[in-house]
Amino acid sequence: MTILPTLKSLAVAAAILASSSAIALAKDVHISVWAGGTGPNDVYRLDAIEIAAQQLQREAALKGEDLKITVEKKPYSAWEDFKQALTLAAEAKTAPNIVVSGHEDIAPWSQAGLIVPIEDYVDLDSWPLSDIYENLLKIASYNGTVYGIPQDAESRPMFFWKPYMKAIGYSDADLDALPQSVQDGKYTMKNLLEDAKKMQDKGLVQPGYGFYPRTSNGPDYWQFYTSFGGTMEEGGKLVFDKAAMTRTYQFFADAVKSGVTKKNHIGMPGDQWWKEVATGKAGIWDGGTWHYARLVNQEGLKDFFGNVIFTLIPAGEGGKANTLTHPLVYLLTAGHDKEDTEIAAQLIKIASEPRTNALHAVKSAHLGISKSESTVDFYSADRWTREATERLLPHANAMPNNSDFGKYWNIMWKNLEASWTGAKTVDAAVGDAESELKSTLGDKIVIR
Amino acid sequence: MKSSRTLGLVMIAPAAVMIILFFLMPVVLTAVFSMTNMTTATGISGGVYQIAPNSLIALKSAMPEIAAEMAEPRYTIDEAGLTAVEGLGMAPGIVAELRAKHIGEVFPARRDVERMIKDLAERPSTREVKQTSEQFNRSVLNTRFDSKEQLFSALDNLGFKLTPEQKEIVAKTTYTGWTWTTENFSRMASSPDMARVLFNTVLYVALVLTLFNVGYALLLAIWTHYMPPTPASIFRGIWLLPRITPVVIYVLLWKWLAWDSGFISILMGKFGYLPKNYLLDTAYNAWFFVVLINGFIGASMGMLVFSSAMKAIPKSQFYASEVDGASRWQQIRYIILPQMRWPILFVTCYQTLSLLASFNEILLATNGGPGNATEVWALAAYHTALRNYAGNLEYGLGAAMALVLVVIGVTLSLLYLRVFNYGTLVAKPLIED
Repeated sequence: MTILPTLKSLAVAAAILASSSAIALAKDVHISVWAGGTGPNDVYRLDAIEIAAQQLQREAALKGEDLKITVEKKPYSAWEDFKQALTLAAEAKTAPNIVVSGHEDIAPWSQAGLIVPIEDYVDLDSWPLSDIYENLLKIASYNGTVYGIPQDAESRPMFFWKPYMKAIGYSDADLDALPQSVQDGKYTMKNLLEDAKKMQDKGLVQPGYGFYPRTSNGPDYWQFYTSFGGTMEEGGKLVFDKAAMTRTYQFFADAVKSGVTKKNHIGMPGDQWWKEVATGKAGIWDGGTWHYARLVNQEGLKDFFGNVIFTLIPAGEGGKANTLTHPLVYLLTAGHDKEDTEIAAQLIKIASEPRTNALHAVKSAHLGISKSESTVDFYSADRWTREATERLLPHANAMPNNSDFGKYWNIMWKNLEASWTGAKTVDAAVGDAESELKSTLGDKIVIR
Repeated sequence: MKSSRTLGLVMIAPAAVMIILFFLMPVVLTAVFSMTNMTTATGISGGVYQIAPNSLIALKSAMPEIAAEMAEPRYTIDEAGLTAVEGLGMAPGIVAELRAKHIGEVFPARRDVERMIKDLAERPSTREVKQTSEQFNRSVLNTRFDSKEQLFSALDNLGFKLTPEQKEIVAKTTYTGWTWTTENFSRMASSPDMARVLFNTVLYVALVLTLFNVGYALLLAIWTHYMPPTPASIFRGIWLLPRITPVVIYVLLWKWLAWDSGFISILMGKFGYLPKNYLLDTAYNAWFFVVLINGFIGASMGMLVFSSAMKAIPKSQFYASEVDGASRWQQIRYIILPQMRWPILFVTCYQTLSLLASFNEILLATNGGPGNATEVWALAAYHTALRNYAGNLEYGLGAAMALVLVVIGVTLSLLYLRVFNYGTLVAKPLIED
């Protein structure tokens, strides 16, 4: 008779103890994540962190911890705004926990102490991080330290509008062989301009629409420099190859001069450009693998493979066919509570799992980050991701992670634009770039 | 008398504080920043000392052997490290196993030592692995030191025998922050692009000012002066619209007008012309639109000032001239213009300063293009210091550029005060002279 009340009180005591221990372990964590260059197809850059938070909460629950993670997401569509906002927020110590940005930001941001190395928080030998392509992980490193985890991979191909290529004399077999021909260096930049001209001369496209490149500054233009034999960095030092840069500037000046590219092309409204390439108004253009998603999802190009063929960027004089990969990376910002940063790092790790990352890859037409992602049926069943991965990724270069690269880039672009629009002659533009690089970077750049 | 003076000071104190905080401080800070090489990479708040592979490149040429030695990352399992690990309060088996099996081992990289730690019988968590490996770090590579002293003491502890001069070289090459410099000014002076930007600025100010802010404004004022009151008010109201429309919408309307798919292209298409981006087609086109966009906004202020000034001209002068048979042109030449000298000077001065610093309409319309043809000084400073695709914000150079604008602005202001003869100006109403 007396045992029952005792048991009851014991049970109550246990319940109180259990609830109080649960309270003791309850943890509310607020993780903010910002992503640059993020349009409607790229939402999984942010959503993957939310998915990861669900998983981490469940794992914590199994360990007896009551972890509640709130993820605050902020996409930025433009890069300039995003980088300005992030840099200033980080300087003001109000940066988000996680940032998704281009790998080239690692050098300046780490030097300034705005980001912390992710390898301080995660085990790179454990799955899924151990499975990430070694070259991508290298791109996400600086000074031998892994700062970020690649969020996606991509490359920037040259696109050709198939019906026009046929109309200027290419057979189906020729077109099938074109990617290989570009890769072997048989089809060059010279051929590209000739074909663009033919398309215009035949009246297939309007003047200025034969070759229709990117309308604004971007990593794409470094591919042309590589095509013409340029090197961006060697042995940790930036390189300005005058001859290669002259050929690069000359290529665009020639394109404008021969009328296949518009003089006023740079700065035109982006929406207009998208619409025009999706509807066959342009003959040949360069872009990124993610363009597939935009063309098919937003611009109404239903039969992509029937209308478009894609290749590496053809070789120019003195260079080789190439493409550029510009992985965005998940980065951890400095100045946060160490435990929050650890949780943020865990979220990045989980978000990098193949199936989660494949959601982003397929939706946005970016490429996968790890070997096993190619074995995920959902990913490999997608024709675009499969073909683009096989055909482009093995030839992909990346921009250097160098804290002075941004200065080089600005000077290179400014003078490219000037020679393109005729504001300067090619020689004057290269000369101005050289003298400004000398006065700006001194012995940090090799000029040859 | 004395107390009223004190009271005056107290009354003016809030305004003085505002002036110092919002007017003087930005200028002082701009001047300070302009004397630095501050960028995104150097940060704003100051740097640290970090012996990283990239800084060792510079050190290699000065002292190759020491640089090579510093480049070596070393993780040594020693007693000091083990004691430190004990202090972390981990499972005792971890330290015991490390001591028994691994003491004296040296690992070349952090990942190697962490792999060993993960293989211990009592496998620690990732966090503990990271904490443990750090205790055995016997290298200065990639470690961030807040001060020179910390850097030097770490080098001393690791047995680097460096002379004070060598230490200073190490400190100099490994410092990540900004330093004082006058290079921004020499860069500006030597850059051909800066000369072009300066020329653009002069062109922009001169064109908008003469054609619109003063010229067209005066024309509008004279037109409306001779109109009946109601249509005159409506006319003036219409010319105020560009001023009161939000600038983003206003510029967007211009873009819609001038884009490839815009109104002009559609209209010209009817006559067989191919559509083109009239706004960015050539540098001349871009200038044409930039001047129009800014001019239509700026004309309204001059128009208002001139209109009210004209109203202040005694009507009797016009009546008398009419009686004498003066034509409109003679009225303008001999009655209006001579009495408008001061309003015209005022509008010229005020609008010069305002145009020098304005760039938002250009940013929205052409963003300085095509080929930097419409990049004016203020816009270039903004691009350099705060907004560019590469994300490399050069605060120091941008501030130096802004300082040039401040200097020009202040110089012009002083010049204008002199031209206006400010003392005379406030003494008596000049228009009724």
